[in-house]
Amino acid sequence: MSYLRLGLARLRGLFAGTREDQDLREELESHLEMETAELIRRGMDPETARRQARIASGGVTQAAEAVREQRGLPWIENAVADLRYGIRSLRRNPGFTAVVVITLALGIGATTAIFSVVRGVLLKPLPHRDGDRLVYLRQSTDALGGENMLFSVPEIRDLRSGAPAFTYIAEYSPWDAVLRGEADVATVQVGLVTGNFFDVMGLSPVVGRLTRASDDGPGVPPVTVLTHEFWIRRFGADSSIVGRQLLMNGQSVTVIGVLQPAPLFPDQVDCFTNMVFSEHHLSATMVEGRTHRMTELIGRLKPSATLAEARTEITTVHERLKRQYPDAYDPGSNYRISVIPFKQAIGQRAQLTLWLLIGVAGFILVISAANVTSLTLMRGVRRGHELVVRTALGAASGRLRRLLLVENLLLALIGAALGLVIAVGGLELLVRLVARYSPRAAEIQLDRTVLGFTLGLSVAIALLLSFAASLPRDDAEGVLVSAGANRHTGTPGKQRLQRGLVVAQIAVSVVLLAGAGLLTRTMMELSAVNTGLRTEEVLTIPVPFRATDSTAEAAAKQRLGEMADGIRALPGVVDVGIGSEVPLTTSLLNLELKVEGKPLSAGQAIPRAEGRNADPHYFRAAGIPLLQGREFTTADRTGSGQVAIINQALADILCPGESPIDRRIAWTGDVLRFAPVNGEWRTVVGVVGNTHDGGLDAAPPAVMYMPFAQEFNYAGGLAVRADSNVSALAGAATRIVRELAPGIPIEKVMTVAQIKEQSVTPRRLNAVLVWSFGVLALIIAAVGIAGVLAFSVSMRINEIGVRMSLGAAPGQVQRMILGEGGVLLGIGLVMGLLGALLSARAIQGLLFGVAPYDPATFGAVAVIMAVIGIGACWIPALRASRVDPVITLRAQ
Amino acid sequence: MADKQDVQPGTLALMILRTLEVLGPLHGYGVARRIEETSKQKIQLNYGTLYPALVKLEQEGFVRAAWGQSENNRRAKYYSLTAAGRKRLAQEAREWRRTADLISAFLARREEAP
Repeated sequence: MSYLRLGLARLRGLFAGTREDQDLREELESHLEMETAELIRRGMDPETARRQARIASGGVTQAAEAVREQRGLPWIENAVADLRYGIRSLRRNPGFTAVVVITLALGIGATTAIFSVVRGVLLKPLPHRDGDRLVYLRQSTDALGGENMLFSVPEIRDLRSGAPAFTYIAEYSPWDAVLRGEADVATVQVGLVTGNFFDVMGLSPVVGRLTRASDDGPGVPPVTVLTHEFWIRRFGADSSIVGRQLLMNGQSVTVIGVLQPAPLFPDQVDCFTNMVFSEHHLSATMVEGRTHRMTELIGRLKPSATLAEARTEITTVHERLKRQYPDAYDPGSNYRISVIPFKQAIGQRAQLTLWLLIGVAGFILVISAANVTSLTLMRGVRRGHELVVRTALGAASGRLRRLLLVENLLLALIGAALGLVIAVGGLELLVRLVARYSPRAAEIQLDRTVLGFTLGLSVAIALLLSFAASLPRDDAEGVLVSAGANRHTGTPGKQRLQRGLVVAQIAVSVVLLAGAGLLTRTMMELSAVNTGLRTEEVLTIPVPFRATDSTAEAAAKQRLGEMADGIRALPGVVDVGIGSEVPLTTSLLNLELKVEGKPLSAGQAIPRAEGRNADPHYFRAAGIPLLQGREFTTADRTGSGQVAIINQALADILCPGESPIDRRIAWTGDVLRFAPVNGEWRTVVGVVGNTHDGGLDAAPPAVMYMPFAQEFNYAGGLAVRADSNVSALAGAATRIVRELAPGIPIEKVMTVAQIKEQSVTPRRLNAVLVWSFGVLALIIAAVGIAGVLAFSVSMRINEIGVRMSLGAAPGQVQRMILGEGGVLLGIGLVMGLLGALLSARAIQGLLFGVAPYDPATFGAVAVIMAVIGIGACWIPALRASRVDPVITLRAQ
Repeated sequence: MADKQDVQPGTLALMILRTLEVLGPLHGYGVARRIEETSKQKIQLNYGTLYPALVKLEQEGFVRAAWGQSENNRRAKYYSLTAAGRKRLAQEAREWRRTADLISAFLARREEAP
């Protein structure tokens, strides 16, 4: 009861105004008077009596304060007062406040953005029902390219029957198909799945149903489940889609439902179909061939089963199979199956990058917090006098600590708010980067957990800052006051720590900047790579006819000819060439070659080349230079002698040091049985320049061109040359092509400049990301070094005053301070450059056309760092040189 | 001055209540003097100790305060016991006596031991 009354009274007291204070003061005054009167009565003189009474009272102000604390709810009053005081004191030091807030915002922003990415991609539970029961099976070997061998149908059968730990094992095969719509034609990525796939995955439909067991096997109608993203993108989220027939690869497929939004793994497909959609997947080669591995497996563990049990069962089956079918499992390749938790499998590709990013962000946070700590320490020391006086006036050290905490909380929270803005800005870039590695990029968001993380982080920083500052000890106050507290300095140990931090910050900035510099050079080198085409005014139009029989092939050839004629009639077009592929893309055909009269010596590798077809206009239209011999002519057609043109790369392989003209070469090897070309001798009539078909960063492949008219054309493409502004032609040219080939998806119409850009874009993303971190670290380091020097100046202000009064020129003082900063800068630079040399080796794989120790980059980075560093040192140096010796010395 | 004692927590409220019970309504100065005398000057109360305690007792409803005239015509705030305060005092005193008996019994036995 009395607690309640006490509480209510205190609550009332919280709002008690000046009247009660007035009351209290009167009461205390009357006490004092009575005491004084008593002392006088005992014979003391009035003056002494009054003093005596005051001493005995223990301080009227303190008493009033104590009563006030008792009367109200002191912590609320104090918090409000502290907050008001905190805001006032931060506003009084706008420079300090701005620097600390910005530094914290950078650190917190970077960490928050990266944390939200990591959470979305790695940590968040999967949207799949009981997602932790899902596993991905992977068969791998030691052989080159054997990381994921997939599974064959007989293997799947054996694994299923031998692994009771699984409820189900579902199959998945990627496939692509041409979807013919009412108005257009598009290529779609398809996942061929077994009926149990979605049961295993634990996913539900948004509309309609998903596949089930009755959709398995031959003789069932083909059905498709659309992914959520594709449903929205292609069908505008039309919920009457269920039951609609889609024309895919010329087959009618029924839409049965739409999948809930979910990360798609192993591939980002547009839709799923049952196996019957692909004849190949039900064919004898597929069903009977133990080495015909085309299927990925995802399993769901029984609720009672553990991952270890599943692993043991799968391994046992696999060992048995290896003994039973030695032909299918080359013992030297070490076939093995790993059972990987699904969440891990889905995050695997992104993991390394993300942990790297976390490392960088964590480091940025630590150096920014270190910066703020040392700034706060300095301010703490500068405020030493204020704090000592406050202590002497009776402020409890707990109260001072609380005041500091409130101030630091204010700083940290403002920093966090600004950091969130930065995080939101940076998140887009990160999501784009991560989307290349993880299907879960769409799940990245700044949600409540992330906000909680940020809040926790800022509170932790505020606590750290509050307890890093040293408060005068209660019993030391007298000493400090009498010593003149402005001579109270930070301990040398603390200064050494701050200097060490600054050196580390500079070193980290240099490392990050060097990385950013190397990646930028990579980007520049890549853009400067000559594609092999003489001009960029070329438009490439792939027309994937995919003819399988000679009638369709002849028709396709005819169509391509008509398209070329049509485009040639457009204004501004210089020439149009026809080929099996457009330039600057890789060819599907890659075969072994032999040269007449030049048998390979033992141990010599069989030469390989890409096969491409080209018509007489192709080289001129694409701008591929003719180096020797002649181009194809209309005389090279069916029935005439078989001829070929090779590129310089192939000439160097086949006939190093001599002219390949008139030599006879032919495709060779077993694979010819399945390939759409013959192995007859062809006479080399010309040599053309190399082209970067595999991307700007890959070496140009060896190519053999065959006359378009002589060869079977399994695909098709057009190269359009214009005298200027070729991209303006894209629309008209695409229309002509679409009109003539209504069933063919015309999707990747690109200028040479656009193709080049494709190689450069990912590098640019890398560079931008590392630049942003580099610049962040640079800002933090600049603030750090300026802060430490400013501190040093304020500590040495008396010394500087003495020096100047003894005749030191402002310039000398400036040089003294600059020298102090220069030492830190120098050490940091050297350490940073060493670190950059080491870490550049680690990112060598990301570099192109630039050495990891590129002197120009390193030099430029050193100059940038030095300029910024010296600039940062200048501010405190300037302040030092403006010290007025008279004022400084008088203050003593 | 060496034998000055700090007021033990919780005991000050009891001393105040008892003082008010014995002397009737009294101002802060009077309370302080009485406690100092009773403790034979071993306890010296400064304002910062006394007044918060008085305010707390008032908030708890054990004492009430009113302005009045002091013996030599000064305005002073007088504190007096309420019924609740009287009850509280009796209860507290009982508990203290019990505790004190117990502790002194313990300490006495300790002294008897060899």
